[in-house]
Amino acid sequence: MSILLSAIEFLHNEPVRVALIVGGGAALVCAVVGVATVMQRQSFAGHALADVSSAGGSAAYLLGLNPLLGFLGLAAAAAGVLEWSEIREARERDLLTGVVLGAGLGLAALLLYFAATVRNASGAALTVLFGSMFTIPATIVPLALAVTVVALTVSALVHRPLLVSAVSVDLARAQGIRVRAVSLAHALALALAVALAAMTVGAILSTALLIGPAAAALRVARRPAAAVALAAAIGLGATWGGIILAYESFYWTPGRGWPVSFFIVALVFAAYLTAGVLATHGPRRAAAHPSGCEAH
Amino acid sequence: MYHSGMGTLGASGSKLRGGLAAALVLLLAGCGGAPHRGPPLAIGVESQYADVLRQIGGPYIRVRAVLSNPNTDPHAFEASPAVAREVSGAALVVMNGLGYDAWIRRIMAAAPVAHRQVIDVRRLLDLPADTVNPHLWYDPRTMPAVAVAAAHAFSALDPAHAVYFETQAQRFDASLHAWRAALRAFRAHHGGTPVAVSEPVANALLEAAGCRIVTPLALQLAVMNGTDPSPQDVAVQRALLRQHQVQVLVYNQQVTDPLTASFLQLAHAAHIPVVGVYETLPQGYHYQGWMLAELQALRAAVTQGVSTRRLGPPAGAP
Repeated sequence: MSILLSAIEFLHNEPVRVALIVGGGAALVCAVVGVATVMQRQSFAGHALADVSSAGGSAAYLLGLNPLLGFLGLAAAAAGVLEWSEIREARERDLLTGVVLGAGLGLAALLLYFAATVRNASGAALTVLFGSMFTIPATIVPLALAVTVVALTVSALVHRPLLVSAVSVDLARAQGIRVRAVSLAHALALALAVALAAMTVGAILSTALLIGPAAAALRVARRPAAAVALAAAIGLGATWGGIILAYESFYWTPGRGWPVSFFIVALVFAAYLTAGVLATHGPRRAAAHPSGCEAH
Repeated sequence: MYHSGMGTLGASGSKLRGGLAAALVLLLAGCGGAPHRGPPLAIGVESQYADVLRQIGGPYIRVRAVLSNPNTDPHAFEASPAVAREVSGAALVVMNGLGYDAWIRRIMAAAPVAHRQVIDVRRLLDLPADTVNPHLWYDPRTMPAVAVAAAHAFSALDPAHAVYFETQAQRFDASLHAWRAALRAFRAHHGGTPVAVSEPVANALLEAAGCRIVTPLALQLAVMNGTDPSPQDVAVQRALLRQHQVQVLVYNQQVTDPLTASFLQLAHAAHIPVVGVYETLPQGYHYQGWMLAELQALRAAVTQGVSTRRLGPPAGAP
């Protein structure tokens, strides 16, 4: 009875509802985009986009704009730069990615400095880098849902051609797949996923939500579709579970809740460890490890 | 809280010069302890303390403030070498304490001067070190005590004008009469008025005016410190505003964050008047006039439903 009552109270809480919606959308998009990203070995690029997007989040703070738009703008710009460079060689690509990442974080440092000193946004750094789900304004929900739908649609459209190009670019071309367009579309979806994740757990931690559930799912799932479904379940479980735990933590240390980002990332990490144990000792050891898909 | 490697600017508004040159100046100032010509220098770390020091010291004391830019969050302030140079030449430093301006102690330690006096207002008022609300100057008991302590300190620096300093301290106390009378009147007519706040900035004034602050303290501290608020507390505050359970929302006019912005929106939608309060002395004001103006803004909100987002120019001399 008391559990039911507190559940009603939980769902009645407006910051919680906004967090559940925005975080849920982010988890779903990250699961779909994340599986493709991990399979394409683009995790580092994903992290770079997240770091660069922190500059956008900081700019939004400075200018008083919608933070999601800020994250989105710079993540998309960074994705554009990385795509436009057309570097396929892994080492070169990692270098460029690292340099772009550094430049983005440096810009974020400058913008956060201005936000703290000129605009007086004292909590900006903590919010942009580590997230503050319960302060997300409800006015963001329509935009967040729209971004979620667009990202899921784009991902669904490029899912299959992307898998083929991941195996072999020549094979994809032979099948009439426009490799460049597919790659660009995936980069866009990645930028959208990163922006949503940055809104949820902050720019620095967004990689955890993007890569973590996908990596855990790929450890145990046999097929990409199963991996996407499992990643979605893990992502949603971690995000919503994190929100529930953060809500409950208010009663552990009286009057002071723990940060929700911590719980989400901790649950993602736990899922990754569990998947590792299942993959090595479980009854259904995956026959083909996902890295077997790689054509390199 | 974000800390940049760069220093912020002090009261003078002068630009940060080359770090090397500044370090050199600091080194010279620190070594020499060179004697000054002219009156002794007193520093009020926050501009409100500097204002009171000026009123007590008159022409016999030079006074500088460190924190006076109303657009900077004092909690996020970082001292520059220019500030360090000034502090090294000061005979008296008045600081708030309670971690609000802890960096000034590091600067003083870096430039030790034998005869420098320090007034830590928290200690002066004999408050416990774990007092949660550092905005002591909103308490009507604070500045009279600071004025008396400053007069004593100045008398030690310049015994020839001891009588002047004592008289100024008494005058200062008398000049707070209008504010204290207004506080008593507010308490008598509107005591128990429920008030929501974004941060604990003006809480001491609200309490002295007999208001009932209904916002959860943990939420106030989360906003003040820029940490994650708990959703329970955010929901309580939103309900207070949406259901019009408060008569006014008092917020920190010098700080902007999305949560405060959302509270302001809710207050606007529910036709709850808002009052923006200041963390440092507003332009053109003396301490007395500032405090009275904040109280009048509160009264206008409670009695006429009028919002005051920023204080206009002061009505007259304090």
